[in-house]
Amino acid sequence: MKEAVFTFFSLFTLLTAAGVVLSRNVIYSAFNLVLCFFGLATLYLLWGATFISMVQILIYAGAIVVLFVFVVMLLNFEKPNERKTRLPIILLSSAGVWTFALILLRVLSKSVGEIPVLETTARASVRTVSKLLFSQYLWPFEVLTVFLLALIVGIFVLARPEGEEVK
Amino acid sequence: MTVLDFIIAGLKAIVILVAVIQVVPVMIYVERKVAALIQDRPGPNRVGPFGLLQPVADALKFLLKEDPIPLYTHRLLYTLAPFLSLIPACLVIAALPIADKAILFGKEITIQISDLDVSLIYVLAIGSLGVYGILFGGWASNNKYSLIGALRSASQMVSYELPLGLAAVGAVMVFGTFSLREMVLQQEGTLLGVLPNWGIFYQPIGFLIFLVASFAETNRLPFDLPESEAELVAGFHTEYGSMKFATFFMAEYMNLATMSGLMTVIYFGGWHLPWVTDAQLLELLGSQNLLCLIQVGTYIFKVSVFMFLYVLIRWTLPRFRFDQLLTLSWGSLIPIGLLNIVVSAILMYVLGGK
Repeated sequence: MKEAVFTFFSLFTLLTAAGVVLSRNVIYSAFNLVLCFFGLATLYLLWGATFISMVQILIYAGAIVVLFVFVVMLLNFEKPNERKTRLPIILLSSAGVWTFALILLRVLSKSVGEIPVLETTARASVRTVSKLLFSQYLWPFEVLTVFLLALIVGIFVLARPEGEEVK
Repeated sequence: MTVLDFIIAGLKAIVILVAVIQVVPVMIYVERKVAALIQDRPGPNRVGPFGLLQPVADALKFLLKEDPIPLYTHRLLYTLAPFLSLIPACLVIAALPIADKAILFGKEITIQISDLDVSLIYVLAIGSLGVYGILFGGWASNNKYSLIGALRSASQMVSYELPLGLAAVGAVMVFGTFSLREMVLQQEGTLLGVLPNWGIFYQPIGFLIFLVASFAETNRLPFDLPESEAELVAGFHTEYGSMKFATFFMAEYMNLATMSGLMTVIYFGGWHLPWVTDAQLLELLGSQNLLCLIQVGTYIFKVSVFMFLYVLIRWTLPRFRFDQLLTLSWGSLIPIGLLNIVVSAILMYVLGGK
């Protein structure tokens, strides 16, 4: 029973993820992305990590993709872009893809057979997550928040019209 | 889980969902009557006694009307959009604790579809998905008024989710749990011997923020800028007709019921009557099922009070301007919400516990 549900939602997640990349229309890509996050959240639920699964929906599907769609709607993407890619872009993106694939391979080869561990630790979800976050992983967590803040400030400076003073 | 458990869970889901959907016709009637009252006119009074059958006539009209799909729309998303806003509104109901428990066929049945340990986050997360219906609906209509309505709704929903969440964090700190059922159980009895032991007395500022943000989240006046008929024809549903339009309408009222339910559960003691504990009532009545009925009645009464407040405010306050709306959220509600969390934390530390 659980395996069947797991298989179904894994396939669902993979298919919608493929839909994100393959859709010609950007809006349909965004729609697929929402569905994909739903699939992921369901997988987390099956592992017993209710908190992570809900936060996945709240943050990614509920806020971030909404902003994606917001931006996409403001730009006019009615016609699909012409497929004229230059060599440097192909080289760069393929380098990125290969690096990511290597990392993924490494992670997957490490984690095969370790999934039952999640089952026990993720149970008392909120308490477990917050304890880990605010003790063992406090330092990386704080560094990440500062990093994100720096990004926001950077984008704000970049997006400001030329020559205008910051109020 | 045995087969019986499955059947009970399924029946509970169906019964509660169908019961909550009845909010829609009642609200249509109440909304029209209260509007008439405030504007000093009789309101619907032709169909049935006191116009009580007006919602039935409305529903029939929606069902029998032609259901056109305008040319130049994106058919798939255009058709999907009303359901994208109705489905989250229905899903959210699963987490609301309506009453404690009833004993039927020798089994204890809690009057709540599912008692998740993170039900508060569940409600906020699924509730925030309703925006996709409006967004995609507005975009797929291929109409500039619809698109403007959709864009407004997106920025409005994202801006007001933050104060809503911050207000909820205050309540989570006081009760020490994310489970809505646990929260209600903790609000039994009295506070200092006089006041009912309700969340509003622990988090008054949190409640106010929650109330204001809930108006924006449900797109009700004074924050109904995604529709604002004076500027945008009808906003995101300009191109929708017949049952598709009615589906958007249903979603709005269901969201209203959920928000009212959330405020009842977090800040007004859920199913508890003030000053009386469940144990005392049980002794008086002598039957768990009778007690359960009273609890359901109490819950419905509290929710109705909030729904009535929504209607009253809709017909008495003018609409905000869009920049005022965003300034209200980012400029005052969010800072106050953050301050509320800090002050609550300090107070809880100084006073110990609650």
